[in-house]
Amino acid sequence: MPTLFQLKDVGFEYEGIPALDGLSLDMAEGESIAVLGANGSGKSTLLRILDALCFSSRGSVFFRGQSLTQELFRQDGYAISFRRQVALVFQNPDAQLFNPTVFDEVAFGPLQLRRPREQVLAKVAATLELLKIAHLRDRPPYRLSGGEKKRVALASVIVLEPEVLLLDEPTAALDPRSQSQIIDLIQEWKGAAKTVITATNQLEIVEDIASRVVVLEEGRVAASGGPAEILSNQELLLRANLVHAHRHSHGTYVHSHPHMHSHSKHKH
Amino acid sequence: MSRQGFIASTTVGFARALSRALMSEEIAREHGLLQALDPRVRLLGLFALILAVTLAHRLTVVLALFLVALLIAVLSKVSIETLAKRVLLVALVFTGIIALPAVFVTPGDPIATLPGGVQVSRQGLAAAVLLIARVVTAVTFATLSMLCTEWTHVLKALNSFRLPRELTAMLAMTHRYVFLLVEIAGQMLESRQSRTVGRLSGAEQRRMAARTAGVLLSKSVALSNDVYLAMQSRGFQGEFYILRDFRMKPLDYAGLFAFLCASIVAIWMGR
Amino acid sequence: MHIPDGYLSPSTCVTLYGGAVAGWYAALKRVKRALLNRAVPLISVFAAFAFVVMMFNLPLPGSTTGHAVGVTIAAIVLGPSGAILALSIALAIQALFFGDGGITTLGANCFNMAIVGSLVGYGTYRLIAAGAKIESNRRIAAAAIAGYLAINASALVAGIELGIQPLLFHDSAGVPLYAPYPLHIALPAMMIGHLTFAGMAEAVISAGLVAYLQAADPGLLLYTSGVVTNRAESPALAPVAGTSARRLRLEVALLMLLTPLGILAAGKAWSEWSPVEFAVAGSQAQVAAAATMPAAATPAGMQRLASLWTAPFPAYAPAFVKSAAFGYLLSAMFGVGILLSLSLLAQQYMERRRAARFSR
Repeated sequence: MPTLFQLKDVGFEYEGIPALDGLSLDMAEGESIAVLGANGSGKSTLLRILDALCFSSRGSVFFRGQSLTQELFRQDGYAISFRRQVALVFQNPDAQLFNPTVFDEVAFGPLQLRRPREQVLAKVAATLELLKIAHLRDRPPYRLSGGEKKRVALASVIVLEPEVLLLDEPTAALDPRSQSQIIDLIQEWKGAAKTVITATNQLEIVEDIASRVVVLEEGRVAASGGPAEILSNQELLLRANLVHAHRHSHGTYVHSHPHMHSHSKHKH
Repeated sequence: MSRQGFIASTTVGFARALSRALMSEEIAREHGLLQALDPRVRLLGLFALILAVTLAHRLTVVLALFLVALLIAVLSKVSIETLAKRVLLVALVFTGIIALPAVFVTPGDPIATLPGGVQVSRQGLAAAVLLIARVVTAVTFATLSMLCTEWTHVLKALNSFRLPRELTAMLAMTHRYVFLLVEIAGQMLESRQSRTVGRLSGAEQRRMAARTAGVLLSKSVALSNDVYLAMQSRGFQGEFYILRDFRMKPLDYAGLFAFLCASIVAIWMGR
Repeated sequence: MHIPDGYLSPSTCVTLYGGAVAGWYAALKRVKRALLNRAVPLISVFAAFAFVVMMFNLPLPGSTTGHAVGVTIAAIVLGPSGAILALSIALAIQALFFGDGGITTLGANCFNMAIVGSLVGYGTYRLIAAGAKIESNRRIAAAAIAGYLAINASALVAGIELGIQPLLFHDSAGVPLYAPYPLHIALPAMMIGHLTFAGMAEAVISAGLVAYLQAADPGLLLYTSGVVTNRAESPALAPVAGTSARRLRLEVALLMLLTPLGILAAGKAWSEWSPVEFAVAGSQAQVAAAATMPAAATPAGMQRLASLWTAPFPAYAPAFVKSAAFGYLLSAMFGVGILLSLSLLAQQYMERRRAARFSR
């Protein structure tokens, strides 16, 4: 499979604090990757770098052999084609749903890509059907539930038919049914040979959504491998702050062992 | 009011704003006279009538327009009770209070003398009544227009009136995020409320208000940055595109004609 | 301070809409140049923030409550142009969607609160906080004073607009057609409420927010701090060297100086519709004189200024121009315009002094 993304020694600071520090990573087309890391490890920043929303201060980022720089995106031509190919679903759906209605939201992307009117209407209708949110068409975003917002957010990027999907904590703060709906969608994309890169710290969904796992620690890659291999490496997971040692007592006997549980209840 | 405390009275205000918004969405979906018209005709027509109200020099014309407003309300399935609650209670009472002193203070021909030597002048009475009638009628028309039109249609109408796209985009986005920020602020205040034992002094309440506003401010700016990235991610490069899908039907032309006629007649009669 | 429909005559509304549109146009141009594509999301979310702040029922000293407007903190964080837009949008949403405040008077309300408020608030803040460090207490005091002055300036302008209505717009029998109170009643009535509660509320919120930002998010204070930084260092809002609000203030100062002439001209044009204009002119002067009898005594200072204006008018000018009330109107409007011009000059002087100090 040809290389899709190539990151070489990428560094990125936000207000003086390094978010990424010497990160190197290669991703092939059609891969499904889970990027694991505690909060602050640089997951969101990595996705934004991949979506060319931020540009590294050090190192280089290549997409299909093209170096992604700020100057490149100032010109119209490349930016439009890139934005269609690569899509990012934000962690905070309220940031992504900025239009007055669901319909307007899903139509925003195609309109920005200057698609003709009939095509926009057709695509939006089809995408709403696909994600089973056609009945929410005229709803304003502040009257949607958490799960509905996530589906609208997904619809707003899927309508562009991207080849690469970047998902930032797609199942965080969702009820179990919505969670499994999202996971089903991701599995469908895997099957359709799209490249899916999911940032998460919910270890229990990793095996369902990825064939490769990358662990981030302090802004760089700490490990990369198959799900089984990574998830069984307790020491690594502890060090990367993905699991924690939990002390509990049985009567008078106290012991501690690492265990993992979902951190999805935490809002970030 | 201050007996309720800052948190309680502010959250009540939040809830009222939200319920108002929801109510107008319901009425906008009814099948009444105004709802059947193109939103642009609705807005232009009602604005023409508000203009007539403002231009009128005669009380009779203003009152006639008020009756027209009530008629339109009934035909548009807006209950008089709803209208009364929103308009009469606020506009009537408020304007009445403001206008009352004018009865005694405006110079002119005295028509009555109250004990204490205070004179009621004819001009003062006329001015007060005219002001009240004008304000109530104008507010009725504005409320009707608001209750019967979905917000997204208001935006689309403004777009077709050639308002700069950035301004309509700002109106749309502001409206969308008002509800989110109200929710966030409400949650912040509620959690403060549950952690507060006993009553806070005025100074403590002020500090809390400032801190709540401060957190809201930081979150707002951070949110706007994320929104900007989200817009860019889907191809935004500075232009706002809209789908035009308003088409005028014969009914709309008839409605527009009717509104304009009524307005012109009222302006003529009221000058 | 939101003026509902029916209180201002159509010609007043049109004139103030004209002033407001000019302000919006200038502000939009500046904001687009400074913020580029970030303008829409930033101004929108800030407008939503201002909207929410307007809903806070603030407890004030003396067991009362008041509402702030948020225009001052908007000017401190976004600069005057951003504040003009953000507050105008918040006011528009209030009027169009929630029905608070009139639609014919939206231009007037935006002019009073968003435009005059932003400029006075910004100018005062910059003047008092000039040269102070981001964390200094002087900035907090500057914000409080700026907020207080901004609200009272807005109230002053609104009071003037309301107060000239009975003078300019009445029928042949002398019945005021719109707001019925002349200047010497309308102005004190407006100002009392704002010199006390509303001004205090705005001062409290502005100062409180600046104090909060100093501790939690000082980057947001950089834009109007007079410190020019590299765009990359403050990603939230980066001041761009060279965009000064000076020209904007000059333009609006000119506008303020010209507005009373506009209202006068419009008023004259409207009163020309009725054939009894000049017959009424004489009784108008009588009305104005008679109106000084009950209620509040006219501020002595205003009376002195008024005589300045009525004196130079030649004998053949229409009688209403000579009346005392017009003098108040003109002096008040020119007063605000002069205040703005003075603040411009003061800022220029301060900057020249600072530049001289650094060049040594």
